Amino acid sequence: MVELKVVGKSIKNVDGVEKALGRAAFANDKYLPGMLHVKALRSPYPHATITSINKEKALHLKGVKAIITGEDLNDNNHGAGLRDQTIMAKKIVRYIGEVVAAVCAETLEIAEEALDLIEVEYKELPAVFDVEEAFQKNPQVLVHPNLQEYEFSPNMPPKLIAERPNVYHHHIINFGDVEKAFLSADIVIENRYTTPGQHHVQLEPHCAIAKAETDGSLTIWGSVKTITGVRSFLSTALDIPITKIRIVVPFVGGDFGGKQDIQCMGIASFFSRMLDRPVKFSFTREEMFHCATIRFPSVITIKDAVNKDGVVLARDIQVLQNGGAYADYGYLTVRNCLFAATGSYRIPNFRAASYGVYTNRTKSGAFRGFGSPQVAWVVELQMEKIADALNMDPIALRRKNLLNEGDISPAGEQMFSIGVSECLDKVLEAIDYQNTVLNRQEGDWKKGIGVAVGNKYSIAPTAACATVRAREDGMLDVIVCIDEVGQGATTVLRQIAAEEMGLEVSDVRLLYEDSNYTSFDEGAISSRTTYNTGNAILLACKDLKKQIISKASQKMNLPPEKLDVSNKIICSIDNPDIFIQIGDLFKYNRLATGRYIPEGGDLIGKATWEQNCIPEDKDCCSKRLNAFFTHGVHAVQVAVHKYTGQVKVEKVVGAFDVGKAINPHLCEGQIDGGAVMGIGACLLEELIFDKGEILNKNLSNYLVPTVLDVPEIKDMKVFLVEAYHRDGPFGAKGLGESTMIPIIPAISIAIHNATGGWIDSFPIKPEQIMKDSKI
Amino acid sequence: MEKIRVKYNINNSNYEVLIEPYKTLVDVLREQLLLTGTKKSCDKGDCGACSVIIDGKLVLSCLVLAASVDGCKIETVEGLGSANRLHPLQKAFIEEGAIQCGYCTPGMLIASKTLLDKEPHPTEAQVRKSISGNICRCTGYNAIVRAILKAAETNDVEEV
Repeated sequence: MVELKVVGKSIKNVDGVEKALGRAAFANDKYLPGMLHVKALRSPYPHATITSINKEKALHLKGVKAIITGEDLNDNNHGAGLRDQTIMAKKIVRYIGEVVAAVCAETLEIAEEALDLIEVEYKELPAVFDVEEAFQKNPQVLVHPNLQEYEFSPNMPPKLIAERPNVYHHHIINFGDVEKAFLSADIVIENRYTTPGQHHVQLEPHCAIAKAETDGSLTIWGSVKTITGVRSFLSTALDIPITKIRIVVPFVGGDFGGKQDIQCMGIASFFSRMLDRPVKFSFTREEMFHCATIRFPSVITIKDAVNKDGVVLARDIQVLQNGGAYADYGYLTVRNCLFAATGSYRIPNFRAASYGVYTNRTKSGAFRGFGSPQVAWVVELQMEKIADALNMDPIALRRKNLLNEGDISPAGEQMFSIGVSECLDKVLEAIDYQNTVLNRQEGDWKKGIGVAVGNKYSIAPTAACATVRAREDGMLDVIVCIDEVGQGATTVLRQIAAEEMGLEVSDVRLLYEDSNYTSFDEGAISSRTTYNTGNAILLACKDLKKQIISKASQKMNLPPEKLDVSNKIICSIDNPDIFIQIGDLFKYNRLATGRYIPEGGDLIGKATWEQNCIPEDKDCCSKRLNAFFTHGVHAVQVAVHKYTGQVKVEKVVGAFDVGKAINPHLCEGQIDGGAVMGIGACLLEELIFDKGEILNKNLSNYLVPTVLDVPEIKDMKVFLVEAYHRDGPFGAKGLGESTMIPIIPAISIAIHNATGGWIDSFPIKPEQIMKDSKI
Repeated sequence: MEKIRVKYNINNSNYEVLIEPYKTLVDVLREQLLLTGTKKSCDKGDCGACSVIIDGKLVLSCLVLAASVDGCKIETVEGLGSANRLHPLQKAFIEEGAIQCGYCTPGMLIASKTLLDKEPHPTEAQVRKSISGNICRCTGYNAIVRAILKAAETNDVEEV
């Protein structure tokens, strides 16, 4: 194998210096001359008809420039796959916090004052909040009576259910013969689990600045990701052709799946076009909580058939996803969350059904893991309970059922690049599993360890386009449409390009943040960038090398197959002393003020990486459903206080089969961050709803982990397992989402091992431990 | 409302500025002085992103009325170092992977600088306590803790 020079090295984040100096500009750091400010009036009712809006008084307030309501919008709905939403409520509000009117004013303070002067009359409608109630046949409340009339993506029509009209999509996988397997089982274990709404709590709140240009186009600086997607939503919502919308994305202060919405951008854009002034709309922290998307709360029921040797014979799982008022990216989580149940274990008979259900709550959408954390947590608790019932070592039970290289998953998918077994080995050794006694007591603290596995698929079909350009000084431009939200994509992608072109990372410039010059890329979702965009860049670099060699071959009078490009030179393979610089392919103009390629304009390589899948059969099975699966294992040690139920996470060890680690240091950073987000999910984070209203819309009541919730440096370990993926760039897969998946069940299991009780929901609060456990 | 005139010394430069009396320091720094390195995230004193140092003390600038610190010496992330002369904390943050999205970074740097100014050789527990009011959603914190300990080890913090 060729020795890698840049790939596999822990190169420091390319934007580190800018960020450390406080100079990295985020959307809200931009102030344009003459810029106006927006505040939104939001519905206090979860479900109501808007009978009248009187904005006269507010319009008379000095400094108010305009007020818009749903009536000012066009008649188009937008949405990810299912077009069911608008940027402001039109006639009906479906959740508390939905925008009813927006004010644009000279200052934020004036806009805020104007909100109080807008008079809205509502006629309350009965509302539904509970997912099981909304799921019922012939329910009392219909959240979207016109659901059947909504437009949708022809590539993914909604599967509606006539007698369950709040279901906006469902997905059922059937594999083997589940009924028969249950008849022959030695034991059957059946449980019901619930999971909460969780918020991304990106440190940077959503912000957009819109500027209507004189030619009718629109420029938006936004704290967003998936540029292609949001641009298409905006085009629909504002009736502007896609190429007339220019989205520029400065640094983004965290995303985790929550920055794909256009409420902020859409309203700012509307005002900017209306008033011909730049307009900024920045969410407050409270608005982040009740108006941006959340992780879907769920009710999951599961029934497993197992034989006495610990072989899982059949699994039957049902996921009810509380989708909130609009489907959003929750349209796709309905289907994709089930891959968490197909990606780890070899189960010969399998049935999984998942339903996306509308309720009158804040809308659910994408959040790191895209439904997998909820489902994987259920699966792992089941595995542990099966082991308990059989009096078997839970690790041995898992090893007996884990998918191996080449196995067929319970969705009929052929699995490869599986390093989960090696991950287990590393984690168990690091936490000293063999010698750690469960149920150990130290003073008032009871100790327990928990080990869990998890997986995260990455979507297919999907595509990424890349263009690369060699400059006269040998430097390389890479043009892609990706999102840098802190994960380090701009570093990793430069490494891939540098490796292929024989350059240093500092020789590569990545142009990515402007929709005016980038082509399609699905964006930083589904942990897909390294794999997909990485592959597109790799192919584009190969194409560029071909172009360079073809030109050099004429100039050097050598056949193309005898030439190689590396380190800014084109060199004879047989005699390294025969070479020319890339710059030698360029010609000076008369005054020597510039250089150009005499034929063809530019030295350009381009490529599309299309990751296809094999269409599903009637049972939703297929040999290739996903791009790849990343597997991982977490082992944790917890201490639970006997008299208060307080939980301390004392040790965390994580291992993930990343394929090739393009940048090990950045991979470790993802795993550290994912683990802590998982600690938050399992022990702290829950949006508390009261009749559709979120009661904890701030960071003093919605708690996320601080440094004091995290084990000390010596007690947190990370391992990378390089289970090469045959299709990945240099064998790499994606990592971001998987890192928060196994830790949630691992903590649940560790608490069980410390206390003896099971808590079939998370977050696990001290009061629940005191109530439900045998501590 | 009548504006008032205030004076600050920010990162060793003198500023004189007319402000609305209800404005918080974070808004004056960002909107009027365009010192946007200091970040606003919760605007309620819960997250630490807007941390600055006022007369040697660590302060959340979203909870301070700008008028109330007239005449004070203020340190923000912009005063910490420069591209060719990074502060040891900045250098260590970059090296240890303590920066992902970078939004909490200015606050983290300011909080840890306050610690190192007082305690040049802190223990891990002291470091943890010093940034316990600062939320980071990306890194999981330990890279930041490692970076602060590393900066303290380099021993040249006081020089800068």
